[in-house]
Amino acid sequence: MISSQSTYLENARPESRLSLSQAIAQRCVKVISAVGPVFLRYGAAVLFVGIAFGLTLALQRYFPYPFLFFFFGAVIASAWFGRSGPGFLSVVFSTVLVDYFFVPPVHSFSISPASEAYFGAFVVCALIASWISSSKKMTEQALLQARDELEQRVSERSAALMKTQGELAHLSRMLSMAELTASIVHEIGQPLTGVVTNGQACLEWLSADPPNADKARRSADSIVRDGTRAGAVLHRIRALFHKGPPEKEWLNINDSIEEVMVVVRDEARRRNVRIHTYLGHDLPKVRIDRVQLQQVILNLMVNAMDAMNDSGAEDRRVFLVSQRNRHEEIVVRVEDCGAGLHPELCEKIFEPFFTTKPHGIGVGLSISRSIVESHNGQIRAFSRPQGGTTLEFTVPITTRDVDD
Amino acid sequence: MTEPGVVFVIDDDESVRDAVTNLLESVNLRACAFGSTEEFFRRGRPSTSCCLVLDMQLPGTTGLQFQQSLQRAGIEIPIVFITAYGDVPTAMRAVKAGALEFLTKPFQKQDLLSAVYRGLQRDRDVLLARAENADLYQRFSELTNREVEVMHLVAEGLSNKEIAWKLDLSEPTVKIHRGRVMQKMQANTLPDLVRMSDRLK
Repeated sequence: MISSQSTYLENARPESRLSLSQAIAQRCVKVISAVGPVFLRYGAAVLFVGIAFGLTLALQRYFPYPFLFFFFGAVIASAWFGRSGPGFLSVVFSTVLVDYFFVPPVHSFSISPASEAYFGAFVVCALIASWISSSKKMTEQALLQARDELEQRVSERSAALMKTQGELAHLSRMLSMAELTASIVHEIGQPLTGVVTNGQACLEWLSADPPNADKARRSADSIVRDGTRAGAVLHRIRALFHKGPPEKEWLNINDSIEEVMVVVRDEARRRNVRIHTYLGHDLPKVRIDRVQLQQVILNLMVNAMDAMNDSGAEDRRVFLVSQRNRHEEIVVRVEDCGAGLHPELCEKIFEPFFTTKPHGIGVGLSISRSIVESHNGQIRAFSRPQGGTTLEFTVPITTRDVDD
Repeated sequence: MTEPGVVFVIDDDESVRDAVTNLLESVNLRACAFGSTEEFFRRGRPSTSCCLVLDMQLPGTTGLQFQQSLQRAGIEIPIVFITAYGDVPTAMRAVKAGALEFLTKPFQKQDLLSAVYRGLQRDRDVLLARAENADLYQRFSELTNREVEVMHLVAEGLSNKEIAWKLDLSEPTVKIHRGRVMQKMQANTLPDLVRMSDRLK
């Protein structure tokens, strides 16, 4: 008990000492940072002049005339580090020292007439050097500051843009989901109808005379089954609506496609379109944002179905293919049997606010392109030789992240 | 109820199909479910009274289209539509085309059952009327040409004398023809015969 207490004290003491010294150090740093800069700038000026003075004293005996180049150096350095104030101070100091020690008559402040011009030139040169040095330093600093500000503004703007793009993507997802409302309602309504109707039947079986327990139990089983199904549908749809930061995970693209097909298949049935899916076997996992890529697939599928609505095509089929190509990419291709695409429009359809639909906004494909490109992939459109349009996008198998 | 009738259920969704069948069976109705319209077409409607509970969204077609193709094929059957996504224009079109009811899923038991009972009743009435008509035509076909003429003139309200004059016959002959007509058509009174003549038109 005692020993444990003593170890506690031993442990505690250095800690408190440490915290005290830390506090003092922090205090010092604060004081220095408040007063320090001015003090340091002028101190440096005095130091530079002192060094120049020492060096000149040591070397003067080798020169027949006053050797003053070190003082120029001191002035330039002081002005550079301390700007105009310390620069001027160093000029004054240098002038006094030069006058007293080096300009004849030595050890006196008086100046011989022969040295007047020389001394005057020194003072003027020192002032000019100080001015040039400090103004150059100031320009450089202003430039640095401007660059920092610019950098900050660029990063702020790009953050705002990213946010806007994210919101636009979410909006476009909402829009494409809104188009599928009927299908979603159907998809949830079916099992719900099963639940309600089986529940009513269950009550009927129980209130029969005599009650039919077997049938009632089977009805209850059906209720559980249908309710579970409705819950699963809701869960998947909520995942499609999900709004959040982009999250990339290693996924099999076919699983994501299957999830989208829940809503797409039903929409296709409503529009009397037949969907043929050919999903490649053994596709490697890729690092993708599931919600975003599902939005791309959804956009492409809805577009394909729209294309056939518009043309009133006889052949109402949509092909959805996923496969691996020679360039180590996964290709997802959506083909329709609609009117096809004019070659000039193949690039244009990806531009924002370009649309061929009467009530379209023209954001779906442009959003899709930005999503695919953020996955280092490509998206393109071309006409099928046998009629209709192909839209395909790629995702590289070894995905390096652009945004990370 | 003299005859329970059959309720056909067409829905491609197994949950709904089973549930509706289950509910109908729980109130002692005979129910028969199909996953597609083709299956129902292959079987055709029975000669007993029946009614159809039809989903609006079907694979490859819509409930409205199927309603039309039934009408084109001359198959008359009362239809109760059920839909997960009911909009007013579709409901209007369905009802205008003769649908009994347009229910949005999930529906209430009473709504479905009352519609189904009405459907069965209507179908029974139609079948009965058709059977009576068939019987009437059978009797009518047994009349001779002269008796047909006499029957129409009687129905128009002409007296025996007027008929005799018009057909250039004697009054007793008209009387005999008239008696035969009444007997062959199994009409007890003159108004009965008039009604029959109307229906034959």
